[in-house]
Amino acid sequence: MTIIASGKGIEISQTELQQILLRGKGDGSFAETINKEISLLPPSDNLRMISNDKFLFAKQSFDQWSLFCLVEESNEEILRLISSMNANEEILASDYSHTSCFEITGENKNYYLSKLTHFDLRPKKFPVSTMAQTLIARIDCSIYHLEDKYLVTCHSSFEDYFKDRLQDAINL
Amino acid sequence: MSDNKIYFKFDGKRYGGNEGDTIASALLRNNIKFVGRSFKYHRPRGIYTCGIEEPNALVQIINEHNEPNVRATVKKIYEGMVVKSQNRWPSLKRDFGSINNLLSPIFSAGFYYKTFMGPKGFWKKVYEPLIRRTAGLGKPPKEFRSKSIHIHHNVDVLIVGGGLSGLLAAKKLAGTDHDVLLIDRDDCLGGILKNTKKIKSIDNQRTNTWVEKTEWLIKNSKNIKILKNTTVTTYNFDNHLVAFEDKSVGKPPDNIKPELVLHKIRTKHTILANGHIERFISFRNNDLPGVMLAASFEKYIHKYGVVPDQNPIIFTNNSSTFSLLKSLVDLGHKPRAYVDVRDQKKIEKETLELLTKYNIPLYAKSEIEGCDGKNGVQKVSIRIKKNEIIKIKTSMLCVSGGFNPDIHLFTQSKGLIKWDDSLLTFKPDKSYQNTITLGSVSGNFSYEKLIGEINKKLSFLQGVNHLESTLDINGPKKFQIKELWETKHEKKSFWSKSFIDLQNDVTTKDLKQAILEGFNRIEHLKRFTTNSMGTDQGKISSINALGIVSKILKKNVSEVGTTIYRPPYTPVSFSAIAGRSTYEFYDPERKTPLHTWHVNNNAVFEDVGQWKRPWYFKKHTNETMHEAVQRESKQLRETAGILDGSTLGKIEIKGRDALTFINLMYTNSFTKLKPMSARYALMLGEDGMVKDDGIVCKINDQHFIATTTTGGAANVLAHMEEYAQTEWPDMNVYMNSITEQFATFNISGPKSRVIMSRVFNDIDFSNDKFPFMTFQNFNYLDTQIRILRASFTGELGYEIYIPPKYALRLWQRIFFYSRDLDLVPYGTETMHLLRAEKGYIIVGQDTDGTVTPLDLNLNWMIGKKKKDFIGKRSLTRSDIVRENRKQLVGLIPLDKTYGIEEGQHVIEKENLSTPIKKPVEMLGHVTSSYFSPTLKHSVAMALIRGGKRKIGSQLYVSTSDLNTIPVEVVETSFIDPKNERMLL
Repeated sequence: MTIIASGKGIEISQTELQQILLRGKGDGSFAETINKEISLLPPSDNLRMISNDKFLFAKQSFDQWSLFCLVEESNEEILRLISSMNANEEILASDYSHTSCFEITGENKNYYLSKLTHFDLRPKKFPVSTMAQTLIARIDCSIYHLEDKYLVTCHSSFEDYFKDRLQDAINL
Repeated sequence: MSDNKIYFKFDGKRYGGNEGDTIASALLRNNIKFVGRSFKYHRPRGIYTCGIEEPNALVQIINEHNEPNVRATVKKIYEGMVVKSQNRWPSLKRDFGSINNLLSPIFSAGFYYKTFMGPKGFWKKVYEPLIRRTAGLGKPPKEFRSKSIHIHHNVDVLIVGGGLSGLLAAKKLAGTDHDVLLIDRDDCLGGILKNTKKIKSIDNQRTNTWVEKTEWLIKNSKNIKILKNTTVTTYNFDNHLVAFEDKSVGKPPDNIKPELVLHKIRTKHTILANGHIERFISFRNNDLPGVMLAASFEKYIHKYGVVPDQNPIIFTNNSSTFSLLKSLVDLGHKPRAYVDVRDQKKIEKETLELLTKYNIPLYAKSEIEGCDGKNGVQKVSIRIKKNEIIKIKTSMLCVSGGFNPDIHLFTQSKGLIKWDDSLLTFKPDKSYQNTITLGSVSGNFSYEKLIGEINKKLSFLQGVNHLESTLDINGPKKFQIKELWETKHEKKSFWSKSFIDLQNDVTTKDLKQAILEGFNRIEHLKRFTTNSMGTDQGKISSINALGIVSKILKKNVSEVGTTIYRPPYTPVSFSAIAGRSTYEFYDPERKTPLHTWHVNNNAVFEDVGQWKRPWYFKKHTNETMHEAVQRESKQLRETAGILDGSTLGKIEIKGRDALTFINLMYTNSFTKLKPMSARYALMLGEDGMVKDDGIVCKINDQHFIATTTTGGAANVLAHMEEYAQTEWPDMNVYMNSITEQFATFNISGPKSRVIMSRVFNDIDFSNDKFPFMTFQNFNYLDTQIRILRASFTGELGYEIYIPPKYALRLWQRIFFYSRDLDLVPYGTETMHLLRAEKGYIIVGQDTDGTVTPLDLNLNWMIGKKKKDFIGKRSLTRSDIVRENRKQLVGLIPLDKTYGIEEGQHVIEKENLSTPIKKPVEMLGHVTSSYFSPTLKHSVAMALIRGGKRKIGSQLYVSTSDLNTIPVEVVETSFIDPKNERMLL
């Protein structure tokens, strides 16, 4: 994890998280295949997250899920996991580990992010264990509300621009 | 108001003001009333108001990037500020442009429309340059760099206005579960409580004490946030409002911190408590410096501690001026006269008592005929009887023509308004959104009824308490007004004018003239006269214009209607609108995993969408693009070249019905395609036109990977998703964009197999084991890579797909193993040249949305036996199979020394007349053209009518200097038509 900016009640760090993007029907067969591999049932409500010690699982839309490894696995293991999930012909699992991930913590994180996104971050509208796909600093991002922080992911091609905007906003 | 002295300059002269002063209050403190020249006639102008409604006192701030048209009544001074008056030359007092006032009789309404019709040619050469040079008030800054940000808010309730109504509403909401944002455009809360003497006390406390305590209560309630110095400018649909905050109030510009903040607010309910605006009355020379609105005069006294004049004349048609009268006499100042349009019997007893007590002359049932003076009011003419006018010497005249509820934002929200005959103004009628109006903006000018109004209108909000407060009101409790829009004008001279719009120099005579000429609809009249089209949007005068027009047309004002109030409410600088999306953050940039390597190796970048792609690599500083591209192309065809193709779109497609889906999405057939093979594929729109192209790799019947053009990646994925979700929802198929999950290298050239064999020494790249258009997956380090044998250059070629974090290492390894083979990195321009030599198209360059596969001679890519695919039906339409459609062909100049320009017309005629007098028949245009270093002449592709039939014939291509080049029409493949190099 690398701290890229801090101050004024904000800390922003960049982290590497292995991620698998899953598409499927979300039916019993889908849940069974996933559960068999990671011992965790996928969340069934849109934009909700569940997690255990090893994985964070978010439902992004009616047929799309994001699975994060909270404990680093070997690359071979990730590829094996993807291959096993893809063995079910009705599931598409893609390695999304090459996505830029940022953690935003601190008491002023909502005010800080209000300079970068129109998204309503008030706890009553965006409670813990929910996620959203929105624009942050004009970049398509996913934002995950964890207990005391936000996890923000975006395409790695935007990483330099995004980091510059994150650093810029902290000083404004 | 602080007593700290601050010094600033106005027109080169140093003046002192108090901390917290606006430019206007500081100038008035120094007895400066003449501050600018008017827009059209260059007439002397002064300070008319004390706020955002100011039409006259616009100045230029020299030390703030030369910021023009700044309202002196709003902008606070700071130490060292340099202010200049506008629209005058060489000086404010002696202005050359004031000759316009002498010529003013010819500048009547519609002058521009009538005058600049002829003679022919004058507009471009005379009128436009002249108008451009003389028009406008301030001078625009030449260099400008400002820092501003956007801040987003999501709240339950937004209160616009922190005056009495706004504070009471906030107090009612304090401590509840509602997230509330309270916005006030001033630097302090309180509104009329701070600016007037209309209210003596609230809850038995002095008004200032009450404001302080209420502000403290609000600040300490966790659910309310206050924004000061912030003006709500825009009220959009869905209760989305935009407010503009000036962070640099009373401070010089800061290069580090943002000066301006644009607040974008999404709210559930909006409470408009933004008050009212006083309006004027038109009379002769009502624009002279020294004429000021009465409430503004009073605001200068209470807010800034400045008495603009100790003995002004007060001119009114309503009861509100009691407050000004009281403020003046309390300070020991005596107005020279009190002129009231109303009959004495109708004037409030509190006012009459004050006038009697202080022996102030009252002229009831009288009106101001006009005022006179050079560069300011010196004498005021009062019509005391029908034919009797008296003159009184004075330097200031305070005018009150009534009040308009500030309905600008309400009407922006699409709320409906109605005319009130007793208040003589428009007020809100029905809300269109969740908008609540409180206090004077709702037409409630009775403070006694305010608490009841707030309790009633906010009772629907859950958890709010019943508000109880006692207001002790000073003076008349009921607002009374008599209609008067304009006084009778005794004709003094051609140059005496009665203004209706001070900023745009529109006179009441102009309104009459417009109606005489048939512009009797208010929207037409507004545009013909430019009334209320200035930056102040006629805040103090637009209702007066309606009043005057209604009299002329003999209609009620409600029948005349209003013009549309448009955002922004007050001017907003472009800098604030842009926010941080300027300069280095102008547009998001996308970079490939190899970007740093490219930078270190002298790449010159090209913007492809948001991507930064190497355009070409400079071998040395002086190498031109042409030289670099020629070198890269030649070297690739001789040895090998490598391109960073990471930006190409990549989509993983999987599902039980993936094969059916792919067969429907592309024209080609994939049914018989063997697993681990690839096919160049075309995607059409429903109209049969080429939408995108790419290579589709078949892993098995349930699993495919498709590549797309760089620019088309997002659209192609969206296109696929749309069809999967809406047209074929029963199909089991899913797509993921994996563009960013793999870096892509394209290695081409006769030596590419050798290089690949060295880099991946355990892989057999022979033709037998690795034939053209096949791919294989391999383990590499602890990951997997995919290698596809394909080519976009016409040479033997391979594409490597590798996860980004391994990309740089592999890229460097490739160069390491090819150091004796002259591997050249090449950019997009060389890629374009090489593919053009081979006759490969680029979607978007050689196509334009009107081109079918048949036009491109790509019939072979259409699966003839396929039952269906998107666009199939359209390909049989009569227009699509028409023989003389524009078709893609190759062009070669007959004289090989000539180059062909892209975009030029292809024609049959050799000679073009200069100038061209008759239309020249155009057969088509050149879509791609390059100088081929291999063939040593230009090669071009063109879309021309009936192109296929013209192969072998001679045509001409126009040039930018109106000459033509003879060309031969050929097939599009210029090199290796038998594909021997590619299949090597």
